[in-house]
Amino acid sequence: MVFAHGFGCDQNMWRLVAPAFEADYKVVVFDHVGAGHSDLSAYDPVKYASLQGYADDVVAICRELGLSEVIFVGHSVSAMIGALASIKAPDLFDSLVMVGPSPRYIDDTDYTGGFTAPQIDELLDSLADNHMGWSAAMAPAIMGNPDRPDLAAELTDSFCRTDPAIAKAFARVTFTSDNRADLPNITARTLILQGSDDIIASERVGEYVHAQVPNSRLVYLKASGHCPNLSAPEEVIAAIRDFV
Amino acid sequence: MEDLEDLYENAPCGYLSLTPQGLIAKSNATLSGWLGIPSEQLIGKRLRDLLNVAGSIFYETHFAPLLRMQGFFHEVALDFVTSDGTLLPVLANATEKRNDAGDLLFTRVTLFQATKRRRYERELVEAEEAARRLGKLREQFIAVLGHDLRNPVAALHAGINMLRREPLSKKSLQLTEVMQGSLARISELIDNVMDLARSQSGTGINLSRDANAPLEPVLRQVINELAAAHPDCTIEDEIMLEEPIHCDRKRMAQLVSNLLSNAITHGASDHPVRFRASTSGGELILTFANRGDPIPDEVMSHLFQPFFRGRTSTSQQGLGLGLHIASEIARAHGGSLDVQSSSDEVLFTFRMPLIWHEGPVGVR
Repeated sequence: MVFAHGFGCDQNMWRLVAPAFEADYKVVVFDHVGAGHSDLSAYDPVKYASLQGYADDVVAICRELGLSEVIFVGHSVSAMIGALASIKAPDLFDSLVMVGPSPRYIDDTDYTGGFTAPQIDELLDSLADNHMGWSAAMAPAIMGNPDRPDLAAELTDSFCRTDPAIAKAFARVTFTSDNRADLPNITARTLILQGSDDIIASERVGEYVHAQVPNSRLVYLKASGHCPNLSAPEEVIAAIRDFV
Repeated sequence: MEDLEDLYENAPCGYLSLTPQGLIAKSNATLSGWLGIPSEQLIGKRLRDLLNVAGSIFYETHFAPLLRMQGFFHEVALDFVTSDGTLLPVLANATEKRNDAGDLLFTRVTLFQATKRRRYERELVEAEEAARRLGKLREQFIAVLGHDLRNPVAALHAGINMLRREPLSKKSLQLTEVMQGSLARISELIDNVMDLARSQSGTGINLSRDANAPLEPVLRQVINELAAAHPDCTIEDEIMLEEPIHCDRKRMAQLVSNLLSNAITHGASDHPVRFRASTSGGELILTFANRGDPIPDEVMSHLFQPFFRGRTSTSQQGLGLGLHIASEIARAHGGSLDVQSSSDEVLFTFRMPLIWHEGPVGVR
């Protein structure tokens, strides 16, 4: 089982879920390039300008570790990254678990992604120009702070470390992506976990994904919000167990 | 006694308590006042309902997970939307209140207005961006100086040399000499400005050290050139270099040239400029002494700053880079450049270690 985190966090996102499967599966967690403890120098703006770049990494990780019949569990944007990986290397993947997936965040004709283009622009602007939300919580943890060792020590065990510059690019890729056309090409059996009251990926979006992915099952979670893997790990674990 | 109920309601900060489901269970009057929304209308809303869309995405993808994982977050910057649609920038702290069994009871959020702080931070970021652009401009400036400006100077130089092989009148020949002198001066100015740009860009002056080649002939050449250019001035020199010196000889020539020129320019014309070079105690020591007016205290502190021009008359003025670059060359060599001024003598002293060890510059 390979667990992939979404935009905004790192592999810690799975800390309450992944261990539950360690007895029965080989469990792999990783940080996307730019997040957590990944090698920031490996970031290539061209490669990672599309979700395919991240999907290629997933395939590379599976190949490197000699995995087969992979159950890929992806949160948020990583649900689509897993979908792209499974389309590229169908032989590797047995099934996909998508937690809060969205193939497109921006509304379109006959499609409700949940956000208007100006709203996403506002988000990207606030990432590009207004760094604040970011720097306040994230930057010190990532940058380290040679002048303030006390600060660094306090933050060494911080979660969800993200490089701000890479996060900006990742936000752009995530929130402007459109993978609707890829969904029908997914051959792996797929579980969609839909949180209630998830503003990032609404129920309508979850239902859209279910309708488009041929061999898929949709499960509504009682847990609210976009991160049921943290807010209701037992429910998420039970749903995944039931599926696999 | 302090009225705790009033302290909660009218505290100089906003308070919010969220249920485990993330709904607002309680808020104080201060926050209601800031938002222009009565407390009872806040009850049952989600924190993100009060944020702009960008902020709510941020909150859901970053801060909500952080809160779940570590039980708190501190100094998170959020933008609330007030009843009249304006944004209220705040800094938020939050902690989870759990019972003994570990069940989440409440999440408590404290909010501080941060309008001015946010504006200040934005200005800082803009200033950083401006500095970055300036740095880039400087790189281009160096490239232009180094290449685009030097090429035509070289062409002029070659042209004048060719002219001088033609039959010329005496006056024309003299003119070409003046022109050659001016070109040499232009080249020197370009070199100085480039060195300044390099030293200011943080990379410092690059050295190519060589301990094997002798330094003395290089120094002699500089002295001879300056003596030729200033026939009215006497330069007394004493050079006793008995040990190998790990230095960049071209840069040392530049340093000596800058400091000797300075001594000649500012020294009393009826007294010699004295130059001494020696090795002792593991150091190379160069001294440059001239008679003349002492350097005023207020000038002393600016002496090595770029573009500083002291008491020279207009005709003597260069760019004011000579001493600055000399001090940068000293620094690059892990050495020092000091000045002493008394009523009858101005004395510049350069020192550097003879042996250079790989490692941080200047650590001795």
